[in-house]
Amino acid sequence: MRGMMMSENQTFTEKFDLLGCIQCGRCTGGCPVTARSNLNIRRFVYDAYHEEALEELARLAEIWDCTACHTCAVRCPKGLKPLEVLIGLRTMVIESGKTQPTVRDALESVFREGNPWEKARATRCDWMEGLEVKIAQPDTAVENLFFVCCTIAYDPRVQVIAKNLVRLLNAAGVDYGFIDDGESCCGSEVYTLGEDGLFEMIVEDNTEFLNEFQAARIVTLSPHCFTTYNRHYPDLNKPVIHYTQLLAELLDQGRLTWEGGLEKKIVFHDPCYLGKQGGIYDEPRRVLQEIKGAKLLEFGRARERSLCCEGGGGKMWVETESKKERLAETRIKDAKALGAEIVAVACPFCLLTLEDAVKSLGFEEEMRVAEIMELLGELGGGN
Amino acid sequence: MKTFVCIKYVPDTSEAVVKINAGGTAVDSSRFSFDINDADNYAVEEAVLIKEKCGGTVTVLSIGPKESEVMIRMALAKGCDDAIRIEDERIALYDPLMVAKTLAGAIKGQEFDLVLTGCMASDDGQMATGVALAEYLGVPHAAMVKKVEMLDGKVKVQRELEGGLMEVLELELPAVLTIQTGINEPRYAPIRGIRAAQKKELKLVNLDDLGLAASEVDSSASKIVLEKLYIPEVASTAEVIEGSDADEKAEKLASILVKGGLV
Ligand code: SF4
Ligand code: SF4
Repeated sequence: MRGMMMSENQTFTEKFDLLGCIQCGRCTGGCPVTARSNLNIRRFVYDAYHEEALEELARLAEIWDCTACHTCAVRCPKGLKPLEVLIGLRTMVIESGKTQPTVRDALESVFREGNPWEKARATRCDWMEGLEVKIAQPDTAVENLFFVCCTIAYDPRVQVIAKNLVRLLNAAGVDYGFIDDGESCCGSEVYTLGEDGLFEMIVEDNTEFLNEFQAARIVTLSPHCFTTYNRHYPDLNKPVIHYTQLLAELLDQGRLTWEGGLEKKIVFHDPCYLGKQGGIYDEPRRVLQEIKGAKLLEFGRARERSLCCEGGGGKMWVETESKKERLAETRIKDAKALGAEIVAVACPFCLLTLEDAVKSLGFEEEMRVAEIMELLGELGGGN
Repeated sequence: MKTFVCIKYVPDTSEAVVKINAGGTAVDSSRFSFDINDADNYAVEEAVLIKEKCGGTVTVLSIGPKESEVMIRMALAKGCDDAIRIEDERIALYDPLMVAKTLAGAIKGQEFDLVLTGCMASDDGQMATGVALAEYLGVPHAAMVKKVEMLDGKVKVQRELEGGLMEVLELELPAVLTIQTGINEPRYAPIRGIRAAQKKELKLVNLDDLGLAASEVDSSASKIVLEKLYIPEVASTAEVIEGSDADEKAEKLASILVKGGLV
């Protein structure tokens, strides 16, 4: 896989293989944000061929509208990653120092405290309070090394994912360890925001830090960490899986059972970073199917055609200036039309963006958005 | 144009639980994140903007621990030229006059046109250091500056007063300005820039290096004694309004507001 690490003297055209483009337009055709932004990704791939035009391209507001959903990369018949052109343009803005204050603050926070949320490193594990969490020690072998994610560690709305997972692991007798407050941001959003230098530093530091642990594998809670470790950390010495893969494994081994059920119609929303980018579609569904009484529905746009929630690509820190309907709102309307009572997600960003959409549409009475771990936690019983 | 910009490394206490140390005169900072004082960040940006416009050099000046060098490197990455970090545990840091005297000791004897600093430190909120610094340097000052315009041998500034009133002043150089937040939009220091800034000089000095006697800036020199820090007990004054329905509750609430003279 071709990473973004590029040598200084490579031209933009070489870096992104722009000459390989046949201008077929499949990238733009699939790009979800064209519904509410001027972004035309095919056009950028074409224009970026002219080095002298780059400065001007980097000034266009729409380079910040890309959510890094990777639809363009999935659809490109030539195997290009068109979105990387936009990330390259973002890098030019970042390196000039003249970036949006929200982006600046998030990046500085990653640099100083190891998380983009401007929180103190020392408080990273506060979510563990009151729980029996096994902490991994580098010199003690453990099967599953858990990587929590900055958003899940600090955002009170999504901490429930980690909390419920700990309870489940303890009950199922899984051999695991969580990392203490030495855990640092995986750099997913640093990469897509274009802070190339910082990302390079993070990859180096995290590789060294994580390689110290004697674990059979790393299990991430967020699809963003999952994909970032799998795509951009060539020297990591252990495989990385998403927690839904572990749950599916435990189910196959008959190690997960629940007393209660949930008589609800549930539709699963494929997170871009788990599905399109990670190829994980079946495991989350397998887990949801296990819930007694639940009826699993499917979106018309499911799996690799799943509609992006606009939570990735650094969009947590950059607002798209468009009055048009948010993609998350479109998604929630689709769910409502299906008659879904629960939109199940497996990503902290999807949870936040889709839940916002439910609120802004005023659908709170009829439906809710819930992370899979949240639902499992409500089933009661053994796990 | 030779500018000094004085910055401070401060804890972010906005969200963390504040605990007082056993001695009662310091805060337990082990769970805080530290960063450049907000107003100082704007002062750094203003210094760099002035340099970009008028040429010259900018020297960063800070009293702080080794850990604060990250903050200093970031300022260097943004365009400052060199830095001096003062570390000496004898300085009575709780007294802004002692801090100002120390900073003045580092600047005196060198040529300079401007000294910028934030108008207030977010940790102690004294708003005195910059003003006292001007006094010790024997130069004019303007506080809470919202706009800076360099003229020949002079600087024109706008100060923000109460009620949206602006005051325009012209100061002869050299001068000290304390900068108000919002005067500009501080830039981002990309990591490549911070790496490149490793080459810039960051000098570590103590009181002896500055030729200052400890007795001039230590607690014996200070006319202030830091007695204690404490967290006031939170008195609960909340009252839950009971009532059978919304109308009854609203009526009770209204009568409380009327009696209290609030409406
Ligand atoms: S899909 Fe690929 S080949 Fe087609 S226009 Fe887009 S970048 Fe070019
Ligand atoms: S990654 Fe998604 S949002 Fe970005 S250009 Fe490609 S298709 Fe559009």
